[in-house]
Amino acid sequence: MATDVMIQANGLTKRFGVVRALDKVNFDVKRGEVVGFLGPNGAGKSTTMRILTCFISPSTGSAKVNGHDVFDNPLEVRKSIGYLPQRAPLYTDMTVWEYLKFAAEIRGLDETAFKKRLKKVVEVCGLAQSLGKDISTLSHGYRQRVGLGQALIHDPPILILDEPTSDLDPNEKAEVLRYIKEIGKDRTILLSTHNLAEVEEACARAIIVSKGRVVADGPLDEIRGKTGRVRYVVAIDEQRAEASNKPPAAAQAQEALERLSGVKSVRELPTDEKAHKFELSGSQDSDIRAEIFRLMVAKGWTLLELRRDAQSLDAVFRDLTRGDEKLDRGAGWAAAEDEEEDDDEDDKPAAATDEDEDEDESEDDEDDEDDKPKGKS
Amino acid sequence: MSPMLIIAKREFRSYFDSPIAYIVICLSFFALGLMFFFLNGGFWQLDRASVSRLFESAPMGLSFLVVPVVTMRLLAEERRSGTLEMLITLPVKDSDVVLGKYLGALGLVLILVLSTLAYPLVMFKFPWNLGPLDGGPVASGYLGMVLFSCAAVAIGLLISALTDSQAVAFFITFFVLGALWLFGDLASKAADYPTFAAVLNYVSFQSRLSNFWRGLVDSPTWSFSLPSPCSR
Repeated sequence: MATDVMIQANGLTKRFGVVRALDKVNFDVKRGEVVGFLGPNGAGKSTTMRILTCFISPSTGSAKVNGHDVFDNPLEVRKSIGYLPQRAPLYTDMTVWEYLKFAAEIRGLDETAFKKRLKKVVEVCGLAQSLGKDISTLSHGYRQRVGLGQALIHDPPILILDEPTSDLDPNEKAEVLRYIKEIGKDRTILLSTHNLAEVEEACARAIIVSKGRVVADGPLDEIRGKTGRVRYVVAIDEQRAEASNKPPAAAQAQEALERLSGVKSVRELPTDEKAHKFELSGSQDSDIRAEIFRLMVAKGWTLLELRRDAQSLDAVFRDLTRGDEKLDRGAGWAAAEDEEEDDDEDDKPAAATDEDEDEDESEDDEDDEDDKPKGKS
Repeated sequence: MSPMLIIAKREFRSYFDSPIAYIVICLSFFALGLMFFFLNGGFWQLDRASVSRLFESAPMGLSFLVVPVVTMRLLAEERRSGTLEMLITLPVKDSDVVLGKYLGALGLVLILVLSTLAYPLVMFKFPWNLGPLDGGPVASGYLGMVLFSCAAVAIGLLISALTDSQAVAFFITFFVLGALWLFGDLASKAADYPTFAAVLNYVSFQSRLSNFWRGLVDSPTWSFSLPSPCSR
């Protein structure tokens, strides 16, 4: 395996009693990658991060950080990471400066190195005004900054940030994200968040977890294309029609729309207007707005609204993590881009959950150019 | 500086950053003064150049109040507030964390213990000289008290590691140390059952320490344990 794989999770499983918090999680993060780690609450994001930082150990599976095994060599692992836990727990009886100094001392930074890094960290995290303040007097946002500062103080090659921006205001967020992007060029950053806009801004790649499994892993564009569908919204006037034509009944209109080529499903939407409103889903590589328009003209119906939405990352996220079991696809999508590296490991979980996949999913594969579709028939 | 000492330093300082150190020290001295001069007739009625009263009462105060208060927060608070996660994920060994915290807390307790040196010094050296004080038992008494503090803090740290509630940690430590102390009294009442009394005497801090008060330092009778609590 290439040496520039900085974080490698291999079949991580964590059980808390009977609850399976993580189920065979596999992924790799290479040097210079900024990876967004997404998932609903309780999906296993923090658990994964805690395993990678050697705070807890996995029930089975292994992980390597910077080439060191988290189980065999936790000290080396911890040396090479900067970690910001969720909600930035800090010693509230210390001042900001004392706290940063404490972290730096434990990390073995000497006085001059500390001063140099402190300058940078203060600048990035915006701590200049609060260095002398007690942490207990700081607001949540500022505590988060201090936590971030603590993670950056030794200029680590790997940063693991658990919701680094959750309590920050929009300006602070932008600044932190800008910095993450900047340092992400030659470092490895794994950051978890609920905020998809942040991922789109700072990360080139995302890993989506749901119920302890990786449900999607890849460059953002690829993930956006995962569901491979585009949404159309069509509204047709239910009272007026052109010339001598009659306005359509809902069923009639739906049937006509369904018959269009390229339409995968039609669903009636509730609406306040005196109109029939439908949601159509079509595949991403075609545009059927013209066909819809021609249909309206041919039937003489009045088209009130026609709109095409690209599936946003948001929608993909909701789709993938909706929580029904059939979406638990194991690590099936994982490593579409790392295929040379870890084919075997990724195949197994996907094959195991293969039966669960239904027609809903089989559509997606049409768009998977690089057909390494894990065991999908 | 090694991570262990850095943690110890932080822990020690944090006592003085909060009111806890000041309150513990002030109230302990107040209580010790009351016990020394007034309890059971007090020092003056005893009419002897001896500070053994000090050694009899101080460990009780340590057991019942000082050590539980000082150690209850050590790990319990870190768990509750989540700072343990931050601490553990720094490049430190678990043993560094445990020993660092142990030394930090022990430092505060020892400051308290050693400040009671004022009693023998002020009363029998300068400015007053109330009588010829036998230095041997005083020295061995302090040795005993220091060792007792080491053991009590270790027990308190262990208990603090088992819970994430400071109150629970306080009460269990209070109970365990108190019981270990009072077993000595119990042993003297259980004379009818020599084996039982021997067991009680064996585990009782009081029975162990009383030798030190008399100036008897016999190493085999002293065993104290360093627990190695894991974070989980």
